[in-house]
Amino acid sequence: MAELITGLSSGAAYALMAVGVVLVFRCTRALSIAQGEIGAFGFFLGLRWADRGIPLLGWHPPRFATLLIAVVVGGLIGFVVERLVMRPLVRRPPLDALIATLGIALFLALLELRLFGTATQFAPSAVGEWKIELFGATLVASRVIGIVLAAAVAGALYVFFTRTKFGLAVQATTGDPTVARLLGVPVNQVYRFAWVSAGMLSGVAAALLGPSFGGLTPFGQTEFALRALAGSVIGGLDSVSGAIIGSLIVGVVEAYGKAHAGPGVDSLLVLGLVLVTLLVRPKGLFGATAAA
Amino acid sequence: MPLRRPEFEQAWERLSTWLRDPARAAITVGLAAALLAPAFPGVRSSTLNILAGVAAIAIAALGLDVLVGRTGQLSLAHAAFAGVGAFATIGVGGRGAPWPLALLAGVIATALVATIAGLPALRIRGLQVAIVTLALQLAAEKFVYPDDDLTGASLALDRPALLSSPKALYFFAIACVAGVLVLRRRLGVTRGGRALLAVRDIELRATAFGVEPAAAKLGAYTLSGAITGLAGAILAFKESPGAISDTSPFALLQSLLLVAIVVVGGAGSGAGIVLAALFLNGVPQIFTGFGRDAPLLSALLLVAAVVLQPAGVGGFLTAISQRLRRRAGERPDPRPRLVDLGAADASAAALRDVPRGLSLRMPAPALLEATDVSVRYGGVTALVDVSLEVRTGEIVGLIGANGAGKSTFFNAASGFAPTTGSIRYRNVELLEQPAARRTSFGLARTFQDMGLVRAETVRENVLLAQTWLAKYPAAAGLLALGATLSTERDLRRRADAALELFGLDHLAEERLGDLPYGTMRIVEIASAVAAGPDLLLLDEATAGLGPEESQALGDRFLALREELGLTLVVIEHHVPLIARVCDWCYCLESGALIADGRPNEVTADARVIESFLGRSAAATGGRKR
Amino acid sequence: MSGTALLEVDSLCSGYGALQVLFDVSFRVDTGEVVALMGSNGAGKTTTLKTITGQLRVNSGTIIYDGADIGGTPAELLVRRGIALVPEGRGMLRDLTVAQNLELGAYVVKDPAKVAEGFDRAYEVFPILGERREQKAGTLSGGQQQMLAIARALMSGPRLLLVDEASLGLSPIMTETAFDFIATANRTAGVAVLIVEQNVLALDLAQRAYVLEKGQVVDVAEGKAVRAMQGRLREAYLGKSH
Repeated sequence: MAELITGLSSGAAYALMAVGVVLVFRCTRALSIAQGEIGAFGFFLGLRWADRGIPLLGWHPPRFATLLIAVVVGGLIGFVVERLVMRPLVRRPPLDALIATLGIALFLALLELRLFGTATQFAPSAVGEWKIELFGATLVASRVIGIVLAAAVAGALYVFFTRTKFGLAVQATTGDPTVARLLGVPVNQVYRFAWVSAGMLSGVAAALLGPSFGGLTPFGQTEFALRALAGSVIGGLDSVSGAIIGSLIVGVVEAYGKAHAGPGVDSLLVLGLVLVTLLVRPKGLFGATAAA
Repeated sequence: MPLRRPEFEQAWERLSTWLRDPARAAITVGLAAALLAPAFPGVRSSTLNILAGVAAIAIAALGLDVLVGRTGQLSLAHAAFAGVGAFATIGVGGRGAPWPLALLAGVIATALVATIAGLPALRIRGLQVAIVTLALQLAAEKFVYPDDDLTGASLALDRPALLSSPKALYFFAIACVAGVLVLRRRLGVTRGGRALLAVRDIELRATAFGVEPAAAKLGAYTLSGAITGLAGAILAFKESPGAISDTSPFALLQSLLLVAIVVVGGAGSGAGIVLAALFLNGVPQIFTGFGRDAPLLSALLLVAAVVLQPAGVGGFLTAISQRLRRRAGERPDPRPRLVDLGAADASAAALRDVPRGLSLRMPAPALLEATDVSVRYGGVTALVDVSLEVRTGEIVGLIGANGAGKSTFFNAASGFAPTTGSIRYRNVELLEQPAARRTSFGLARTFQDMGLVRAETVRENVLLAQTWLAKYPAAAGLLALGATLSTERDLRRRADAALELFGLDHLAEERLGDLPYGTMRIVEIASAVAAGPDLLLLDEATAGLGPEESQALGDRFLALREELGLTLVVIEHHVPLIARVCDWCYCLESGALIADGRPNEVTADARVIESFLGRSAAATGGRKR
Repeated sequence: MSGTALLEVDSLCSGYGALQVLFDVSFRVDTGEVVALMGSNGAGKTTTLKTITGQLRVNSGTIIYDGADIGGTPAELLVRRGIALVPEGRGMLRDLTVAQNLELGAYVVKDPAKVAEGFDRAYEVFPILGERREQKAGTLSGGQQQMLAIARALMSGPRLLLVDEASLGLSPIMTETAFDFIATANRTAGVAVLIVEQNVLALDLAQRAYVLEKGQVVDVAEGKAVRAMQGRLREAYLGKSH
């Protein structure tokens, strides 16, 4: 039971990032493996500023503000990436977009190394250090907030997709961008929305959950992002709820693996899960289209 | 004996023509520079050691590109593959085996591992393959690298005497690069490579040319693994004497770098990839002035390369080559030439004789006999109990509205649709035969939306269509063994004959996708004819052609029957053409046969007019305005 | 209303990259009328529509709509100016419901009352769409999809409706119905229609017609002469002249 709770809580963390991956895939048909680094970059910048003060202003933002900085910077990176890199690639084969995000991940990770060094950054939690006990599992504040946030994001996106006009525009763009354009849907805005919100979600995930995973290292994000990627692939790359459920499954499998089979085996289990899902059901559990 | 002047000039002429292709020039100049490099002042042995490592990286990237460029699949596990090669080399060489054996062990072990890694690719594709290989890379890092027994970290690999100096190792590595480039070149001109292109661009139709997609894909993984294993072996010897203690050359980051090299170099371009390896891997190591910013810049370069120059350095070289040709005024007329068909006897003769996978004795008057053929996709019925026959030497028209099931019938006959009923060809039940085998019976077809590889030249496409005639094993083709060279020469002759027959010989070297649509369609028919069929199924052959061109194509149908003895089934919307060339005509509506007979009878049939030609004047007259 | 040019295409040349498809194509559509642009496969019909809707570049010539040159204007802006396109193959958003498809048709309409009005009219003219409003568009039959495509295009309250091969993939009887919808739309909404077709039945609706062959206008007819053109085309297609 304790493993289930811990697993769900880390699964919720992956889910926040996985939802970003899915948003980008749904709207632009690009598989982004840069989400981990996009979030981490903003988080590192927030830490650096909290530590040394914002350049020119000299103001030391409070600990809570690292979260906001990560979110804002994540969104900004998403904006720039969409406009300069991904938009020219929209009509090109999906592998081109994948390779581009790979280059972006590489660039951001190396930039992090250059700016922040290789030392592990032990960050204090942005949301305090309180914890709760639940069925024998101890959950620290950031994990609790993570679960709540993942649920809130899921709910908000559900309402957004089904109740708002722009949500409908997103669905139309997913269906057929050319037809959407003919109907007057601002397709480029949909692309921008996807990348910016995915960047912001990555920022939240990195800032909230970095600390409880024992600190962030440059490139360490890739591992974290890969768990999120695994979650979204298992759930189906174009389904928000699928990504959340997939990520939760990944979290739980990993927790049980860690507890009962020793370290290292958890990764193997997750990899096996991805492989089996892809071979048995290439669309993922809840996906409508296979990633081709 | 001193060279005489004309001979010298002739040789120079030939050399300069050969060098006019920038990719070739780059390889030639590069190879010369590489061989002379140790003689340059200021090149120390440490530099040569670095360059040997760069050569190994280039080889690994060339191996990766067999997958990326030829099959369109991305592997993120190639650094791990190189690791397997290095570990296997150490594992065998470290136990006292002679070094060539150790090297071979590295190559074979990696080829095996890569082939197994390729198995999922038989079921999934594209992004999913990338994800699976990513998982493999991570699994290797977690479970193989920390295990000293597997990596051979406890063994010591001796440095072979032959490769003892940095200079010797360097020359060995350069020779390996050259060897791999030659191997890739062989791949391009033999059936194995053509099969891969077909699988990449037109996978579902590749069987129409006698290509087995699964075997081709696994073969690509095997070859890619073998080449990458060679890279690993070179890295192992570079670190010898001793074993490899640092696994970072085989980590995910290195896999990503290999992808970057392929992308920046340009998928499919050997010269471009070697240049990119030198630039992305070698330059930062040699000119340390860039310091820590070098990897940062290469990441940025990767992104810029994808966005700005999709085809990489290789694409750049091709663009130069095209510009040079254009300047030389070599732009041919993109239309087929009008061929005097009587004069094309020689071409026709060259195409006539091909072996068959079944007895040629004609047991019944009907060459193709379809009985109660039905095709269902899920809940949709595309063809219902269609029975028709095609007799030897006939030109049969198949007409009907869009969606009536005409192409579905072709799909059923050529093995591209789930079919019930019976289709007998020369009295052999086709539905029991795999699609690739039907080609060997003498069945060829074209597709409504073009079943050829647009990125390749016209001649390559015709050669691709003849894959089933290339009987040598793909591996033998790579090494130019057995009957490979003579078979390829014959196939080339056939291809040229087919192109000549259709007035396309002046376009043989043009990229198919650069030609007008109508010309592409003619190329497809020429390809189908080159495959040496008895029965040719042509799907909307005149779509995209103007009236005169359609007329000319009609003449050619008649000539195909006269000169090559072909039997034709044509799906056609252009009624005058049907009336002129067809002996018999079938009309489909909503998957069912509604009329058959001589063309003039069928076009006068009330139901045919209703369904296909438009309502009769009487029916329209009653309409309110 | 009739008589003033709403769309005037003059000496239009365009194509795909180096491949020129249209050669000096000129035609016009007046307010409120139905015009047919006829041609067989590959004559340049779809190219014409793609050029008008900004999906292809104008090489030379002009496309004047409502007094302004719209050459090169992207499709999403044209909808706002009153041009709606029913694309070839119907352009269904298959995973969305009928109602959602219609709502997207009204994406550029700001006034909710007008949108509601549009829904009412669509369900009134095409009752079957009202019955199936919660059904996914992909589950409709070909004819119903064509109906939805037309109704969806009308949701933006266009002044000019461009219809690309409404008959494609439809059985003869469904083709007839599709043409009836177009006629209904023209009558009830007063919208001018440019039908691009190879099916000669389209000429039943048209007040003026042009024949396109190999990228050039080779025949024009107006009023009563359209009927004669229909006869000529039918003969050409049937091959009686050969």
